[in-house]
Order: sequence, then structure tokens, then C-alpha cells
Amino acid sequence: MSGFDLWRRQVLTIVGLEWKKTLFARRGLWVYALALMPALLLGVKSYQDSKRFAEFERVAQSSPQAPKVTAQIRDGMESVELVRLLQDNGVTFNRFNRGRREIIRFNDGRAANELIFRDGKLVAKRDRRLASLGADVQAYAGIFQYFYIRLAIFFGCVGIFMNLFRGEMLDQSLHYYLLAPVRREVLLAGKYLAGLVATIGIFGLSFLLQYWLLLLPHSAAQTSQYLSDGGWGHVFSYFGVVAMACVGYGSVFLASGLFIKNPLIPAASILVWEGMNWFLPSALKKISVIFYLQSLCPIVAPPSPDVPEPLKLLITTAAPTPGPIAVAGILALASAILVLAARKARQLEINYSSD
Amino acid sequence: MSENIVFTDVSRFYGEVLGVNRINLTIPPGITSLVGPNGSGKTTLMNLMTGLVKPSKGSIDIRGVGPDEPEKLFRLLGYATQFDAFPRGYTGHQYVYSTLLLHGLAPAQADRKAWAAIERVNLVDAAKRKVDAYSKGMRQRIRLAQAIAHEPMVMVLDEPLNGLDPLVRAETIALFREAAARGAHVLVSSHVLHEVDMISDQVILLANGYVVAEGGIRGVREEISDKPLEIVVRCDKPSEMASRIFAFDHVVEARIHADGQGLLVKTKDASAFHKLLNRLALDGIEIDSVAPADDDVNSLYEYLIGEEGVTR
Repeated sequence: MSGFDLWRRQVLTIVGLEWKKTLFARRGLWVYALALMPALLLGVKSYQDSKRFAEFERVAQSSPQAPKVTAQIRDGMESVELVRLLQDNGVTFNRFNRGRREIIRFNDGRAANELIFRDGKLVAKRDRRLASLGADVQAYAGIFQYFYIRLAIFFGCVGIFMNLFRGEMLDQSLHYYLLAPVRREVLLAGKYLAGLVATIGIFGLSFLLQYWLLLLPHSAAQTSQYLSDGGWGHVFSYFGVVAMACVGYGSVFLASGLFIKNPLIPAASILVWEGMNWFLPSALKKISVIFYLQSLCPIVAPPSPDVPEPLKLLITTAAPTPGPIAVAGILALASAILVLAARKARQLEINYSSD
Repeated sequence: MSENIVFTDVSRFYGEVLGVNRINLTIPPGITSLVGPNGSGKTTLMNLMTGLVKPSKGSIDIRGVGPDEPEKLFRLLGYATQFDAFPRGYTGHQYVYSTLLLHGLAPAQADRKAWAAIERVNLVDAAKRKVDAYSKGMRQRIRLAQAIAHEPMVMVLDEPLNGLDPLVRAETIALFREAAARGAHVLVSSHVLHEVDMISDQVILLANGYVVAEGGIRGVREEISDKPLEIVVRCDKPSEMASRIFAFDHVVEARIHADGQGLLVKTKDASAFHKLLNRLALDGIEIDSVAPADDDVNSLYEYLIGEEGVTR
């Protein structure tokens, strides 16, 4: 068997042995929780939206005249006039009196309207429409970039990749691999690939579930229209970003597990560095995983609304990197880190008592 | 290519703590026992050989391969460690089988070899059970199975007889002898001295990280010149023998047995004493048996290291 064939076989064996351990480890349950949290929130939203859509649909059918009533509402209108209009057109409504204040709520099949009267005259009007698919897709870009990549995948990779070596040192079982006729570089490659299989599996499937839940409340026609107008491209791009995030963060945390005993130190340091990315000069921005990942995202999310106004002034922009260069950038970064990790792996010793 | 295991000026320090120091050894094939009390450096020496720890100084050559070449070394060598942790969730069979897959064997071949090794350590019935549920002796045996499954020419076994029942112990020793007979190195660490006496072709005595003696047990004993050799002679006229041998300078002490059928002699020159015995036999003293009384590892230990490390 040639050297390459042997390495390939050994890598596949290691992947085969490791991925199950990684996917079904009890200590990794929190990674699943992290991965599924956005899906859970989107599931709740999807359920509520579906109920609202159904309610709007029902009103649209039972009170087809309701939009006409809405069209006749004007500033200064009297509440009695509106009530008469609603009753004449068969629109269901709720009316509350709070002293001189009066509130009337009704659904016209397009929006949930709330009208506030003072001394019987209309002073304020609010309407809450159902989010369009476009608005939902835009909102998801923020969830994906600010929560899913920066926190869920980031910490998921901390949990999975740091344990590939460090976890086995703590379990005192790493010697099992070190006593096999496997080059340390091959061992590292095998473990890294096993980590990728696990993380891309967990976070990729969670992303697909999230996107399905995002589209679920919208009508089949709208969804179909969106998917054929570039929606599938979004899905593939996001999935690619998930994979590249696992590639980038995976390499960082695999190496960290070899170099540093306490996982919190590299995780916190890298989190701060990646979080500072908005404020870094454009040259420094490029020495991070998040910069390339953002360049690959199909929809650019605006800076987090949580950033205080004074800090927003410090935000710098760098031209997003074209997709192929961003992918090459992440792969180059990951390769460089893995080369360093392989050198460290060659020097690795078993000294469980001090680990 | 060298057929020996060679340590050249090997030292290993853990920070300021000494692991082993200035080890120079040439170990020929056969069964070699590393003997020493806890903390003497036995496991460190084994870990150095297998690359699990790196020497601070010096070099190691295992039949022409260095410990920093795992891809070559572990085709040649199998190591049953004292580490009692296993990859989580593995059955005994999986533990041995997956190691063979890492050797690059095809699954069918790996399976065949795994079962053969498991059979050798008499663990077939338990092979499909999880290792976590094994007793200490079973875990010891499955580690041994893993170390021998690829039929290595160097077997490094850290306290391999610990926790084994007498039958399995005898079978395991037979396995070592068989490997030694085909020209393999079998390096066994132990602090149970009678065991070492029974199985070893040569011993390496360690104390506080230093090699204090190495070689065949008898050869090592003969080199300890400041301690007279003890020889038990069973004969019909022990009093006459005692009076005649005292005329020679190399005889230090002669003590007649309580049963009056023999005597214990302490001599500084074993070969001169044996020649003297021949002469006494010709002169009419009937000698039934002659046996060394202190050329076992236990005695070597007491002489070289002191009482504290001895486990009988």
C-alpha cells in the first residue's frame, strides 16, 4: 500500500471512530442546545405567524368590506362614526373605554388596526401588518450573522474541536491513538475532519431547519417565488457559510486545544477579537474568520442594533472580499493554523498527571 | 539494521523532577524485566521507548527505528500501558479491531487478527461487552491483546501480570516465552520479584531514575563483589566439609543446617569454591546438591537497592 493510500485509510478510520464519539458525547449536549436555539425561536415565530396568517385569511373572507372601512379612516374622525362604519360593513371589533380615552381594535384582513380616540375624536392610529417574506429573510440575516455564526457556531466549535485532543487528555485515553502506527499529522487531519463532519452536520442541519421554519408560514406561492428568485442561492450560500465557519473556527480551536489547557482563555480572546472586527482598520479586519464569513453571506446585515451610538461612529468598513477569495482566505487561514497544530502534535507527550 | 534496543545517554526530567538519568543500555532480544520500586523510572523508560514522552537528552533506537517515527515504530512494537482508560463506549473487540484498522489492515483481516489476539488472552466470551464493564484483570488482558494483535517484534508490557488469575498468568508467560523464542524483544516491568526470576532472560534494575544493574541475573550477582555469594550444599558430612573449606581464603562463612544434612557457605569466589567441591567429592564426601542461595532478583535487590523496594 502506498503512503498516500495508507494515510487515506487511516484518516477515514479515525473519522469513523471519532465522529460518533463527537456527535453522541454527553458533554456535547449543550452544543445541540446552542445549535437548535434559533430553530426553536423560529419555530415559535412560525407557529404564531401561521396562526396570524390564518386569522387574517379568515377575516379577509368573512369581512371583505373591511379594507374599505380602513380606507375611510381620517384624522379627527369621531369614534361613533367609525363604530357605525364597522357595524354597517359587518366587521368585528373591540372597544375599550379608559375615561376620556377610547380604543377601538379591528382586523381588516390586511392589518391589525388600533385606533385611539380622545374625547371621541381620533388622535392616533397604529397598524400591525404581518411581516412579508422579504422582511423575514432580511431579519434572518441578522440572526444568522449576530447569533448563529458569532455565538452558536463559534462556541459549538469550541466545545467540539477543543475536546478532540484536550478532552482525550482529560479522559486519559489519548495514548490509544499515540500508540498506533499513525503519523501525528494524519491523526490531526483525521480528528479535524471528524470534527468537521460533526459540526457541519449539527449546524448545517439546524440551519436548514431554521430556514424551513422561516418560510413555513408564508404561502406556497410566495415561497416558490422567493426560491426561484434567488432564494435557493441564499440557502446554498448560508450553508456554505456554516461549513466555512466550521472550517475556520474548527482549525482555531483544534490548535488551541493542543497549545492551551484552559479552553476559556482562547475562546474569550478570539471572541473579543472577532467582536472587535467592526471597529478594526480594514487591514486587521482580514485577520479574522468573521470578516471572510460576512463577505460570503448572501445578505449583509446592518451593524448590531445593540452597538451603542457613540461606538457606531468608530465602525470602519472594508470592501467585502469576493466569494472565491473569501473561501481561499478561510482555507489559507485554516491551513496555516493546522500546520502549526501538526507541529505541536508531533511534540505531544502523554503526561496525564499534569493535564 | 540493529536487532537490539539501544539507549544512549538518555535522560528525562519533568521540570526539576528526575524521571531517568543517563541511561545507557543495549537490550538484546528475549525477555527482559525492568525491576524497581514505584517511582524508580520503569514506566518513564517504557514511555520514552514508545515516544509517549521525549527524552530531555540522548537518543533511543528500537531495532533501527526511533520513537519519533510512530508510523514505523508501532508496526514493530506493541505497548500495553498501565493507563487504565479506554476510548469511551468501546467493546473489547472494537478496542483491538480499531487499532488494527489504524494499521491500515482491511476490515476482514483486522477482524480475524483481533479475534486471534482476543483468543490468546482468553477473553472471547467477554469480547462483545463494553470495556467499561470489565474487571481489572480483563482490562489488563484486553490491553495485552491490543499490544500483541499485530504480532510485533518488540512487546513493551507495563506490569502485564497484575490482576491476572494463575491460569491466565501461566498462559501469558507462555506467550512471552513463545515471542522470545521467535527472536522478539519482550520488555516487562514488574516489582514482583519472584515473577521476574521465573520469566526473565535478563533484568534491568532501576532505582531513583538510574540503572543500578543490568544483564543475566547470575551475571549481575557475580559482579557484586562486596557481597559474598551464598551457596547451599546438601551432603552427608557437613562438619567435615566445613572444617576443610575454612582453610581457603575465599570462604567467608560456613553454617551447618539444623538438620545436619548440609551447610550454607558464603564465598567470594564461586568458581574456586566449585573446584574445591569437586576435590572434596573425590575425597569421599557425598554431595547431593549444590544450589546458589542468593542469585535471585530478590537478593540482588536487597544488595543493590536496599529493603524498601522489595515485594515478594
